[in-house]
Amino acid sequence: MIENRPGLNALAHLALIAGVVIVALPVWIAFVASTHTATDFSSGTVPMWPGPHLVENYSRMLDAGVSTSGTPPVGRMMLNSLIMALLIACGKIAISILSAFAIVYFRFPLRGLAFWCIFVTLMLPVEVRIVPTFQVVAGLGLLNSYAGLSVPLIASATATFLFRQVFLTMPDELVEAARIDGAGPMKFFRDILLPLSRTNMAALFVILFIYGWNQYLWPLLITTDAQYYTIVAGIKRMADAVDGLPQWHLVMATAVLAMLPPVAVVIGMQKLFVKGLVETEK
Amino acid sequence: MASITLDNLGKIYPGGTRAVGDVNIDIADGEFIVLVGPSGCGKSTLLRMVAGLESITEGEVRIGDRVVNRIEPADRDIAMVFQNYALYPHMSVRQNLAYGLKNRRTPRAEIERRVTEAAEILQIGPFLDRKPRALSGGQRQRVAMGRAIVREPAAFLFDEPLSNLDAKLRVQMRLEIKELQRRLRTTSLYVTHDQLEAMTLADRLVVLNGGRVEQIGTPLEVYRKPASAFVAGFIGSPAMNLLDARAVPHLPGTAHAGTIGIRPEDLSIAANGPIEMEVTAVEELGAQRLVHGLTGGEAITITLPPDAPLSETLRLGFDRGNLHLFQRETGARIN
Repeated sequence: MIENRPGLNALAHLALIAGVVIVALPVWIAFVASTHTATDFSSGTVPMWPGPHLVENYSRMLDAGVSTSGTPPVGRMMLNSLIMALLIACGKIAISILSAFAIVYFRFPLRGLAFWCIFVTLMLPVEVRIVPTFQVVAGLGLLNSYAGLSVPLIASATATFLFRQVFLTMPDELVEAARIDGAGPMKFFRDILLPLSRTNMAALFVILFIYGWNQYLWPLLITTDAQYYTIVAGIKRMADAVDGLPQWHLVMATAVLAMLPPVAVVIGMQKLFVKGLVETEK
Repeated sequence: MASITLDNLGKIYPGGTRAVGDVNIDIADGEFIVLVGPSGCGKSTLLRMVAGLESITEGEVRIGDRVVNRIEPADRDIAMVFQNYALYPHMSVRQNLAYGLKNRRTPRAEIERRVTEAAEILQIGPFLDRKPRALSGGQRQRVAMGRAIVREPAAFLFDEPLSNLDAKLRVQMRLEIKELQRRLRTTSLYVTHDQLEAMTLADRLVVLNGGRVEQIGTPLEVYRKPASAFVAGFIGSPAMNLLDARAVPHLPGTAHAGTIGIRPEDLSIAANGPIEMEVTAVEELGAQRLVHGLTGGEAITITLPPDAPLSETLRLGFDRGNLHLFQRETGARIN
């Protein structure tokens, strides 16, 4: 439907601008808050424009952190988050592409059951199985470790389904041509399936990286050693001031910093991301 | 190069459906065999059984003197050209051609030599470094054939390779395939539903219907002496007129026949011919004119020269030798 009426155009723009303002306002407030001192923000009127303490606040967070809440410097927590998000994203992609490969291209006994088992895990996100998972991870001695942070979040039904869908769109003749060309199953996987799923992997990487980065409850639960705090869980700890007001200006500075890596990933991989989600021709 | 023997070959799907049965064909070394039939007649299944992409449930396939029933497609020493080309979209033309050889650990210099040679034969040299998506349909078709040629296999298998091309290109590629096969002398098995393609390409035709072989023979044999009413109606364009003998009871010498066949080009206008035809439609083809009509309630078609006079009804005559007589129940040829 393409219409050219100036009135409607203006209305559409108005609605979009309103949407942008609603989404962007909290981010703006967070940024503004991170450039003021602690007292400016809790004195009653919320400032709407950046203050003069930007460099001071950010360098303090990057160098030292907030010692009263026991969190390490932001740099350390960002690194932890990055490692966790990368492990989760790469692990999920690797496991789900292999399981989708098995489900689509091999006929083995109990294939249907395997498929349904994967399907059922969709109904069991981390939050639901958090107590038993914690017990297992604790039993394995993985508390306060990168493995403990990422492994329980890696198994993924959604990604498996996405790759299954991708593989089902591959023409059968391609598989047959490869068979006649003497490519065994793993060779076919490496030489043909992997390169052809490249854009889908990229799209999934973006989604999963953000999923991993934003993990909150699980890291909060299994990290007690400040060495392993992730940034999202760290923000929560900072906001929990025991004896006094939270230092909002520092919390907000950390929040702004925490937003940057996911934004960078989305912007950097935007092209591949869109291609991977809309491309159908193989 | 090798001969191929299909011995009592049959295929029954797990559900119990029979796709192919009792197929016996001896393909000589260097021969060009075309499997032709309407869709669903089992011709592709047959080809895929030879290729090893479909399991064999009855009988034997021998390539050379080796039974290949349980041998992987890659080890059967065959190459296949697919209907939709099945080129690897992420590889350049050169990589597409080389992939099968690389998997067989052919030395690099040898791969290079064969790819260059195939590119020259097929005139795809200028596109070697392009991706398939940057090629036209005809060029993709050539690359698909190139992928078969570089392997230097014992046999080529073609699965309706021209049906994705437009009419003009199809005629041109048909000729090229024929020349190529004559030059390379590689045993070829070619599947098509297009009887014209079948007639022009084949050394021998295999006409299939309902999973069974109706007739095997050279294109002329099949055209002149179709073994059954089905073959008679399938081979030749425009199709042979098949009349129920009861609709034309007065034709001499057709006493035992159930179905009487006569090709449109064998009919002519004759003042006191035995068939009276009521004209219903005329198609102008330029070089000739197709006249459709009815006789005794049965459809009948005749080809006439473009300047032939037309009227509402025509009386048609024919040469007795051009009549094809078939049994009513089985459709088998009588005369």
